[in-house]
Amino acid sequence: MYLRRKSGCFVLFLIAVVVPCKSFAQTDTTKKLNEVKVLSAVTPNLQSIVPTQSISSNDFIRYNAFNVADAIQDFPGVIVKDYGGIGGLKTVSVRGLGADHTAILYDGIAIDDAETGQIDLSKFNLNSIQKIVLYNAQPPDICMPATSFASASVIAITTVKPALTALKPYSITAGIKAGSFGLINPYLQWQQRINNNWSFIVNGYTENANGQYKFKGAANYPDSTMVRKNSDVSAQQIDGALYWAKNDSDKFSLHINYYNSDRGLPGAVIYNATPSNERLWNKDIFVQASYKKIWISGLQLLVNTKVSQSYLRYLDPQFDNIQGELDLRYTQQELYQSVALAYHILKNWEISYAFDATLNNLSVLFNYPDPIFPDPTRLTLLNVFASNLVLGKLRIEGNILNSNITETVKTGNAAQPRNIYSPTLMATLTPFANSDFQLRAFYKNIFRDPTFDDLYYQEVGIPDLKPEYTDQYDLGATYSKTLTGFFYYVTVTADAYYNDVTNKIVYLPSNLFPQSTVNFGKVDIEGLDVSLKTQAKLSENTKWLLSANYSYQKAQNVTDPTSSIYLNQIPYTPKNTVALNTGIDYKDFGLYYNQIISSSRYYTNDNLPYDYIPGYSVSDASANYHFIADNKPVIASFEVNNLFNQSYYVVHDYPMPGRSFRISLQITI
Amino acid sequence: MKQIKLNYLFIALAFTVVLTSCHKDKIAQNSGSPVPQRAGLYVLNQGGFGDDNSTLTYYNYATKQLIPDFYALANPGKQLGDTGNDIEIYGSRMYIVVNNSNVVDVANAKTGVLIGQVAINQCRSIVFNGSNAFVTSYDGDVQVIDTASLTITKFIYVGRDPEQMVIANNKLYVANSGGLSSVPDSTVSVISLSSFAVENSIPVISNPVSVTTDASGNVYVLSLGNYGTIAGGLTIIDSNADTVKSKPAVSIGFNVPMTNLGNQIYFPTADNKIAVYSSISNKIIQTNFITDGTVITSPYAIQADPTSGEIFVADAKDYSSDGTLDAFNSSGKLEYKLTVGINPGKIAFVNK
Repeated sequence: MYLRRKSGCFVLFLIAVVVPCKSFAQTDTTKKLNEVKVLSAVTPNLQSIVPTQSISSNDFIRYNAFNVADAIQDFPGVIVKDYGGIGGLKTVSVRGLGADHTAILYDGIAIDDAETGQIDLSKFNLNSIQKIVLYNAQPPDICMPATSFASASVIAITTVKPALTALKPYSITAGIKAGSFGLINPYLQWQQRINNNWSFIVNGYTENANGQYKFKGAANYPDSTMVRKNSDVSAQQIDGALYWAKNDSDKFSLHINYYNSDRGLPGAVIYNATPSNERLWNKDIFVQASYKKIWISGLQLLVNTKVSQSYLRYLDPQFDNIQGELDLRYTQQELYQSVALAYHILKNWEISYAFDATLNNLSVLFNYPDPIFPDPTRLTLLNVFASNLVLGKLRIEGNILNSNITETVKTGNAAQPRNIYSPTLMATLTPFANSDFQLRAFYKNIFRDPTFDDLYYQEVGIPDLKPEYTDQYDLGATYSKTLTGFFYYVTVTADAYYNDVTNKIVYLPSNLFPQSTVNFGKVDIEGLDVSLKTQAKLSENTKWLLSANYSYQKAQNVTDPTSSIYLNQIPYTPKNTVALNTGIDYKDFGLYYNQIISSSRYYTNDNLPYDYIPGYSVSDASANYHFIADNKPVIASFEVNNLFNQSYYVVHDYPMPGRSFRISLQITI
Repeated sequence: MKQIKLNYLFIALAFTVVLTSCHKDKIAQNSGSPVPQRAGLYVLNQGGFGDDNSTLTYYNYATKQLIPDFYALANPGKQLGDTGNDIEIYGSRMYIVVNNSNVVDVANAKTGVLIGQVAINQCRSIVFNGSNAFVTSYDGDVQVIDTASLTITKFIYVGRDPEQMVIANNKLYVANSGGLSSVPDSTVSVISLSSFAVENSIPVISNPVSVTTDASGNVYVLSLGNYGTIAGGLTIIDSNADTVKSKPAVSIGFNVPMTNLGNQIYFPTADNKIAVYSSISNKIIQTNFITDGTVITSPYAIQADPTSGEIFVADAKDYSSDGTLDAFNSSGKLEYKLTVGINPGKIAFVNK
C-alpha cells in the first residue's frame, strides 16, 4: 500500500511538471528552432596522465546502453559482473580489483554504501546522464574532494547541465523506451533558464518491466528452454538540479535525487529449487550542493556538501524461521562535507589541499528479536595534499592522503581506529617535439575499508579486520593524431599494469566462531589494456567510427604456496576480453554494432572443469534516426541486444537473456 | 579470491550460508550389520550454497581410483543439485538427501544409477528402520518414506528446522535445531518406532544439530548454541529413561560432525582437534585422536568404519575450493589423503 501511494504521488508530480511545460511551449512556438547538425569529429582525449575512458550521451546508443553498467562495459580493464536481466545486480571490477575498490562519483560527489561497499550500476538510468568517465587511480585534476583520491579507480558520472540561451530559455525532452521484458520506460527532462545566473533542470522517469526472459543451460535441463521469473522491476527516479553561475569561475549547484524501486529477485537457477519469491525495495534520497570559485590570483576553492539516506528492504516470504519469513530493513544515513583548495604557485606548479569528513550510520530493523547489526557509525576524515608540476616535457603529479577512520557501535566491539597514509605518484612524458606520442606511468597505494557487513554483520563480520590494500603500478603509451584526410583521427593507447592486493577480505566461515570474514587473501594481477579509436569520412555525408579494446588479465591467488589453489586465476576474471564497436552515421541515420568477447572463467578458486564458465561472444546492434517533426527534433531508435541469441552466463547459475529488443522515441521542444 | 561476497542482494543468502551450509551433517548409523568387505567409499560434497554444484566423490579401495563426480558419471546429463546434505546406504540402495533441490535421490548403491526420486521440501537427513526411511525437513517434520514404493506415508511433526536423527531403543531421536531463527530450538523429539508418534521432547543445549549413539544406548547431541551469548555443547541422553544424563564440558567450534565407534564418540573441538569421549569412563579420554601431527583446517565430516576401526575426517579447508578426506587408522595415524569436492559433508561406505 505504501509503495502504491508513492507511485501515485510520482505520477501526480509528473503531471504537475508536464502541464505547465506544455502551456509554456505553446506560447513559444513562434520562435524558430534551429537544430545544429554537427558532422565533424572531435578527437577523444585519451592522453591523460592516468588511463581514462569516457562515453558521452550521444554515444550511449552505439553501445545499446540502457544503464551505466551497459555504457561502460566496453572499457578496457572493466568486467561487469552481471546477474542478468533488467533488474539484475550489475557491479564492476576494474583491473581485477573488487567492486568496492571503485568509487562512483555523481557530479563530483561519491555515492557511498558503507554497508556493502558496492553500488548497483543497473539503477542509474541514462536519461539524465551527460557523460561517464572511468579513471584508473584517480581523476587528474588536483582540486577535487579528498574522496576522489581515495579509491583504486573512479567512475565519474556527470549529469546533463542546462545549456540554454535567452532566446530559448527552456528545453523539454520527452521520451519513451519500450521493448522486451515488458519494458516501459517513459522519461522527461525539463531544462529552464531563469535569468542570466540561474537555471534548473528536472529529470524524471518511471521504469516498469516484468523482466521475464527465456534461457537455456540449466543443470539437469541443458537443452530445455526455461523462463526467468520473479524478475519484475518497478522503479521511479526524480532528479532536480538548480544551477547558479556568475561566470565560469564562480558557480554553485544544488542537486536533489530520489529513487524508489520494487523488484523481484529471481535467485540462482538451482535444480528443483523452490521458486523464489524474494523481493527488494529501495528508497534512496540525497541532497548535494557544490560551490566552486577561482580567483584571478590562481586560488581555487571547491566546497561540496551532501546529506543522504538510503533505505533497503529485503523480504523472503518463505523462510523456515519462527516468523516464516525473512524481512530485513536497512537504513543508512550519510553526512558529507568537503573543502578543497588549490593554488598556482608558479605557472607550472600547482598545489592543493582537500579535507573531507563523512559520517555514516547504519541501522537495521530485523524481524528477529536480536539486532543483526549493532548500529555502527563511522566517521571518516580524509586529508590530502596534492601537487602537480610541469617541467618541460615532463608532467608530474602526486599526493599523499591521510585517512582517519573511527567507529562506534551500540553493542559489542567497534573496529579499532585506523590512521593510514596513502601515496600516489603519476607522470607523463612527451618525448618528441610534437605531443602525438606520450608515455605515462603511475603508482598508487590505496585501501578499501572493511564494509559494515565485513565488520559487523551478525555471525559473519569481525571488527578486527584490517583494510584491504592495493598497490597499483601502470606503465603506458598513448598516440593520438588528428588528421585531415580520410581519417579524422587515430588514437591508440596501451597500458601494462601490475596490481598487488594484500589483506584481501574474504568471506570464510571459520571454525572459531565468530570469525567469518578474514584478511585472508593475496592476489597478484598482471594486465594489459589496449585501445584503438578512429573515425573516417567515407563520403561527404558518411562517417565511420571504430573503437576496439583488448584486455588481458592474469589475476592469481598467491595466498598460500602450499595450497592447491595457489597461482589459480581468481573467480570471474577472464584472461582475455575484446570489445569492438563500430558504426556508420549517414546524414541523420546511424547504424551501430557492438561485440564483446570474453574468454572462459572459473567461478571458484579451484579452476577445475566443474567450476568452468564457458567464454562468450555477444553482439548488439542498433539504428537511430534524427528527424524534425513540427519543427521539433525527434530521435527514433531501435536496438537489438544479443543479436545472435547466444545462451551464456556471466555469473554462475544466473543466465543472461537471449535476443531482446528495445525501441525509443524522444522529442525535444 | 573473490569468494562469497556479501552484497545487499545476497545478504540473506550469506546469512543462510552461515546457518545451513556451514555444517549440519549427520552421523551415519549403519543400521545394517557390519559387512566384512568394502568396495569403497562415497563422499558427498555439498558444493557452494546456491551454486547448484553438489557432487559425489567415489573412492575405489581396490583400484584406488578416485571419481570426482560418480553421480554425474552414472547418470549422464544429470547432476545432484544444490547442497547434498546426507547420504546413506541401506540395502542395495543409496539415498542422497539434496537439501536445496528439495529431493531425495534413490540410486543403486554400487552403480550410482538413479532408481527414483522423492520430493521433500528442504530435506536434511535420513535414517532407516525396517521398510521405512525417515527424512527431516525444515518444514518442521520427519517424513516417512516407504522404501518399496518410494512414497511418503506419514508426516510426523517435530520442532523447528530438524537436523539429524538417530535410532536407539527402538526410538527415533530428532535434533530440532531452530537454527534459522535467532532464538534456536533446544529440544530433541523422541518418536516411537512402533506408533510413529512423538512420545517425548527432551530439553538439550540450544541449537542441536548432530546426534549419535553408543553401544550402551546413550544418545549424544551436539549443539551449536546461538553463535553468541549461548555456547554450544554436548548433551548426553539416557534413552531408557529419556532424560538428560550429563552435559560434559567441551569446547565446540563451528563444525560439529560426530561419529561413534563402540563406546567411543569422536567429534571436533573449537581448535580443530578430534576429541574422543568414552561412555565407559564418562569423560574425554583423548583431546586429539590424531597422533601423527596431521592438521585439519575445517573438520566438516567425520565417520568411523566399524569394520576396520578407521576414522575418516573430511576437511572443507576454505569452504570454497576442493576439500580433502583424511583416513586415519585406529591409533590416529594418517593412512591416506584424498582430494574431494567443495564442502565434503558426509561419508558413506559401500560393500562389494
